[in-house]
Amino acid sequence: MIDFIIERYNFWIYIILMMIGLYAMITKRNLVKKVIGMNIFQTAIILFYISLASKRGGTLPILEHAHGEENLTVDVSNYINPLPHVLMLTAIVVMVATLGVALAILILIYRKYGTLEEDEILKKMQ
Amino acid sequence: MKIVNLILVLCIGGFLIYGTLDMPGWGDPDSPASKHVSPRYIQKTIEETATPNMVTSILADYRGYDTMGETTVIFTAGMACILLLHGSIRKNRND
Amino acid sequence: MITPFNLIILIFVVICAITAITVKDLLSAVMILGAYSFFMCLMWTEMGAVDVAFTEASVSAGIGTILFIAAIIKTTRRSKD
Repeated sequence: MIDFIIERYNFWIYIILMMIGLYAMITKRNLVKKVIGMNIFQTAIILFYISLASKRGGTLPILEHAHGEENLTVDVSNYINPLPHVLMLTAIVVMVATLGVALAILILIYRKYGTLEEDEILKKMQ
Repeated sequence: MKIVNLILVLCIGGFLIYGTLDMPGWGDPDSPASKHVSPRYIQKTIEETATPNMVTSILADYRGYDTMGETTVIFTAGMACILLLHGSIRKNRND
Repeated sequence: MITPFNLIILIFVVICAITAITVKDLLSAVMILGAYSFFMCLMWTEMGAVDVAFTEASVSAGIGTILFIAAIIKTTRRSKD
């Protein structure tokens, strides 16, 4: 039972982080707060994928003293799985790209309506 | 309204926690995620790409098209930012 | 893979996330989000993902925070919730 909890408590904390981000995206009225919630949500999902890659007893995915050797036998269980790291590297950069476009749209909204609160924007649109 | 949202979020979290009960534990070397393609990347990286750092060899060699798509996304995002901000400045000056 | 260290950093991350969405001043919220990104970067270093860690430290904690601050300077830093 205690092993079961120790193996899984970090997954539960990632889900709590994801719930914090989702709650901020749904409930908060300020648009910057919504963007902050989106950032937290994406980071929690990236954290979950990175944690899938870790192996007990594995080191960093970099080979030592490997330059110039042709026939090197590598034991797979000694190295962490590098594939999720690569995919999440792409996801972090895409996250910042979406953040930039969201903030540009937000500046445009402020220029047109003069406020960032969602209910005041809805009142001025009518 | 806030109470409804909170209950909705808690329901989603409960379902996700129920989903983690069947998952392989943290740091399990025999999990399905580290059994399928990554052993080949780890074993062949020095033979096929001569790069000791596996993350770099996968990023730029095995999955190079993926990285090219990523640069397209960044280019599109930068273009969208410039068009959004600059277009509105010019419109304001003409008014 | 050091369990108590990991737990301590996870608790700090959750505290930073809750503070970032509850504080009323937007500039403070953005600064706390930067601290959240650096804690996340520390956690990835501890898990063994060094490349992801320094990408996060430069791209998300650096450029992301600068983009947020630029947007807040151009708009307003007051918020109602």
